[in-house]
Amino acid sequence: MNQIDSAVKVEGLTRRFDDFVAVNGINLDIGKGEIFGFLGPNGAGKSTTIKMLCGLLLPSSGKGSVGGHDIMTGAEEIKKNIGYMSQKFSLYDDLTVKENIRFFSGMYGVRGEKRKKRMEWTLEMAGLNDRRDVIVGELPGGFKQRLALGCAILHEPPILLLDEPTSGVDPLSRRNFWDLINEMSGSGTTVFVTTHYMDEADYCHRLALIYRGRIIAEGTPMELRERYMKRHVMEIEVESMVEALDILERKGMDAAIFGSLLHATVEDVAQGIADIRKTLESADIKVNRIEHIVPSLEDVFVTLIEVA
Amino acid sequence: MRERITQMIVKEFLKTLRDRRRWMLLFGAPILQLFLFGYVVTTDVNNISTALYDLDKSQESRELARRLEASGYFVVRYAAQSPGEIRDLIDRGEVLCAIQINRDFAKDLKRRIPTEIQVIVDGTDSNTAMVALSYATKVIAKYASEQGANTVGAVLFPLDFRTRVWYNPDLKSRNYNVSGVIASIIMITCIMLTSMAIVREREVGTMEQLMVTPIRPVELMLGKTIPFAIIGLLDMFIVTLAGVLWFGITIKGSLLLVLMGTSVYLLSILGIGLFTSTILKTQQQSLLATMFFNMPAMLLSGFMFPIENMPVIFQYITYLDPLRYFLVIIRGIFLKGNGFDILWPQMAALFVLGTVIITISSFRFRKRLG
Amino acid sequence: MKFLRIKAIAKKELIQIWRDPLSLAIALLMPVMQLFIYGYAITFDVNNITTIVYDQDRSSLSRELVAQFRESGYFTLVADVDNYKDIDAYLDSNKARVAITIPYDFSKKVLTGRNAHVEVIIDGSDSNTATIAEGYIAAISLRYPQRVTTKTITPVMDPRTRVWFNPELKSRNFIIPGLIAVIMSVVVALLTSLTVAREWERGTMEQLISTPVKTSELIIGKLTPYFAIGFMDMILAVLVGVTLFGVPLRGNIVLLVALSSVFLFGTVSFGVLISIIAKGSQSVASQIAILSTMLPAFLLSGFMFAISNMRKPLQVITYIFPARYFVTILKGIFLKGSTLTLLWSNGLMLAIASALVFFLAIKNFHKRMY
Repeated sequence: MNQIDSAVKVEGLTRRFDDFVAVNGINLDIGKGEIFGFLGPNGAGKSTTIKMLCGLLLPSSGKGSVGGHDIMTGAEEIKKNIGYMSQKFSLYDDLTVKENIRFFSGMYGVRGEKRKKRMEWTLEMAGLNDRRDVIVGELPGGFKQRLALGCAILHEPPILLLDEPTSGVDPLSRRNFWDLINEMSGSGTTVFVTTHYMDEADYCHRLALIYRGRIIAEGTPMELRERYMKRHVMEIEVESMVEALDILERKGMDAAIFGSLLHATVEDVAQGIADIRKTLESADIKVNRIEHIVPSLEDVFVTLIEVA
Repeated sequence: MRERITQMIVKEFLKTLRDRRRWMLLFGAPILQLFLFGYVVTTDVNNISTALYDLDKSQESRELARRLEASGYFVVRYAAQSPGEIRDLIDRGEVLCAIQINRDFAKDLKRRIPTEIQVIVDGTDSNTAMVALSYATKVIAKYASEQGANTVGAVLFPLDFRTRVWYNPDLKSRNYNVSGVIASIIMITCIMLTSMAIVREREVGTMEQLMVTPIRPVELMLGKTIPFAIIGLLDMFIVTLAGVLWFGITIKGSLLLVLMGTSVYLLSILGIGLFTSTILKTQQQSLLATMFFNMPAMLLSGFMFPIENMPVIFQYITYLDPLRYFLVIIRGIFLKGNGFDILWPQMAALFVLGTVIITISSFRFRKRLG
Repeated sequence: MKFLRIKAIAKKELIQIWRDPLSLAIALLMPVMQLFIYGYAITFDVNNITTIVYDQDRSSLSRELVAQFRESGYFTLVADVDNYKDIDAYLDSNKARVAITIPYDFSKKVLTGRNAHVEVIIDGSDSNTATIAEGYIAAISLRYPQRVTTKTITPVMDPRTRVWFNPELKSRNFIIPGLIAVIMSVVVALLTSLTVAREWERGTMEQLISTPVKTSELIIGKLTPYFAIGFMDMILAVLVGVTLFGVPLRGNIVLLVALSSVFLFGTVSFGVLISIIAKGSQSVASQIAILSTMLPAFLLSGFMFAISNMRKPLQVITYIFPARYFVTILKGIFLKGSTLTLLWSNGLMLAIASALVFFLAIKNFHKRMY
């Protein structure tokens, strides 16, 4: 992608805190209108990365631009063209919904008729039409989240940077939230999202997996599944899970617990099923079901991490 | 139970020690205060800038001027030539005091005619003015009594007051003030920090997290107050050490008694911190509220202003101020070597005050959490 | 710089202040409370000196002397004792500060025109009171002879004292003008220092600095409401001081308001600077605020303790603090009716200091996280 089509293009982005390297040489190339997901466990460097893209943190080294403005020297310019939602949904808990919207309108220079329109749009979008004068501190999490998003896009920025926007929010609200993101991406907004919920990865156009400050995988959700999962994932339902896990691992197989089920990776499906069944049954463990499943991104991730 | 409390105390200390700013404040601030109070709050008035308007220019008038300067209190900087000049000098703040000796001073002295000496002071600083007047009167009175002793005749001469000063013969305000600082230094720390520490958990939201653990209200209270009690004691120790080593103050009485008094005092102080934390929601409120209490508590405690000079109604109010009693205890032990037999009323008062406050506070605390 | 953004921030701050009525109430009440305490309760005036008398003579002359003490209005006679041990007990236990012993041959000596001695013991722990007591005693020593006989008595020297600017030596006239400086420093700097730190602690600052808002807009917007509060406090203080306490306001009100605003501006800017240094911890911010504004304003500004009494090095240090200039200005305008011609140098220093702090605050506030 050439410069003009990239909303975010950075190379070698690095950030150190004293001796600790939080982000280590990250390259990104995000096109306009893309929904780009940044996945990783806590402490991987997601927040640090996004803050550098916002101009909130100065990179220790690296180069690039966000929205056409240089990340090293153009922090203030960048801020004019982005909407940022921080991890804590930073709204003012002692102000009302309306007061928050009005405040952020002021910050982004949205006034007059435009402000009225955006205010109504935001209230509608967040479902807070009849709660305009409620103190934000008293709102449930889902509403706060949407309000925070609304406040970040009052000025209709071309680029959105969202740091774990769905953490601590119920699944239904999460779903609705992603519908909204999709809508915005459809109208040309570039969205950069960090999350540690693997299941949200499928909502993104492209993803990068980050672990310990480095990108360990990149591509569309499908690409990631195909490219990185050479082996097949078998889902196993047994009575005594922990014991079964132990036995499989002792046999040299790659296995892990996923909820109330076991996942094991094998080279060949048919052979794999047979092997597993034999191993477990010879240890007197009743196998209820073994099934070949499409790997989830979590599977991908766990595998990649073990490799890394 | 003890384990949980210890954990909390350790946590609080770690938080402090990790942040260099914090422990510089905790231990540096009291020393700073000690030095400031020790050097600034000196009601010792010396080197009073004076103007002399001597219309007599006799041996006797010069003798009076010499005595004034020899006393060490006054420094004659200007020889004024007119009343207008005196006015100007005082207006501009060049002199604090002006002495006018009239033309026939020496002659009148010899003829036993009453002779007037004008002492003019700049009253903007009323304390310095009063002290200046006191000094001037003393010097003049002494001169007068000696003059009288030299003459013969049916005349009454002034009385000779022989004064002795006890406990602080040099009349240096240092001892008094430093011991006052020692007593009051832990007040702000303990009350404010205790209150803020508890309220902070509420404000930032971690209180809920604490509440789902098996911790009991008593443990939480102790865990939050003990660190500051320890810090308070440390502060007091450091400041006392500095006071003794640097300022050379003496402790005439028993250190054990000091410890006892401090412990009883801490009861009320921490109780107040606890109490405020039960009614406040944010750290800002905590800060403002504790200042709102601290300020009158310090001012009315007798730390700088003697209680007996206050209007009666305020004197009654001071009975509720723990610092009042603690000051008497500290000063009594340091300056007069008082023992328990003299100080027991103060100790008892502190004990009662402390117990009452803590009881009310823990009651409220439990209600708040439960 | 966009006015729209400044307005938005100032409005938000105002709403937040309004939604915390407790803090607002304390912020406005604290000055009033301080005024009351300083105006009514605190005084440097020494006029309740507890005294005991050991009259060995018991003549009409000795009783006359005791009456002199009582009538002076300064000494409060609490007991007559009849032995030296009692004197020890009273002084040791703070029940009396002065003990007068009149020897058995007192009247004999007075009547035969010989030097009559009177023993006085003074508790020197509070040297200020002790010194002033000595002055009072010296004055009595000069006046006593006049009272005693019907013969025309010639007092040898008669010091006539005149006090300018504050004739009744009311401490409150001295204290209240400077108090305005202290009040503003405390409340305003404290609140302002907390506001930035609090946004960091709660996470809203992160959001704020990700918007296009400029540092100068942010700071000015935040300062404005606190400037308003400080202004209200000042007006309140002046009103109460003048109407309730009768402190004279001899100078120009417009000048007072103008220069106060300059000081206020510097104080709020300093509050922001403190919160920058405190790096987002409210408790650190508050401790620094107290140390760096309240203490200097209280001790080093000349508000209550004359700078001329301090040691030279400390005197030099006081030049750093804007409060010093402001207190001089206040006292000048209130008590001396000084005009700009006299005060211009102080006014200039104040303006420079305030501007400097403001620019430092803006320069050091980075719209970045670390």
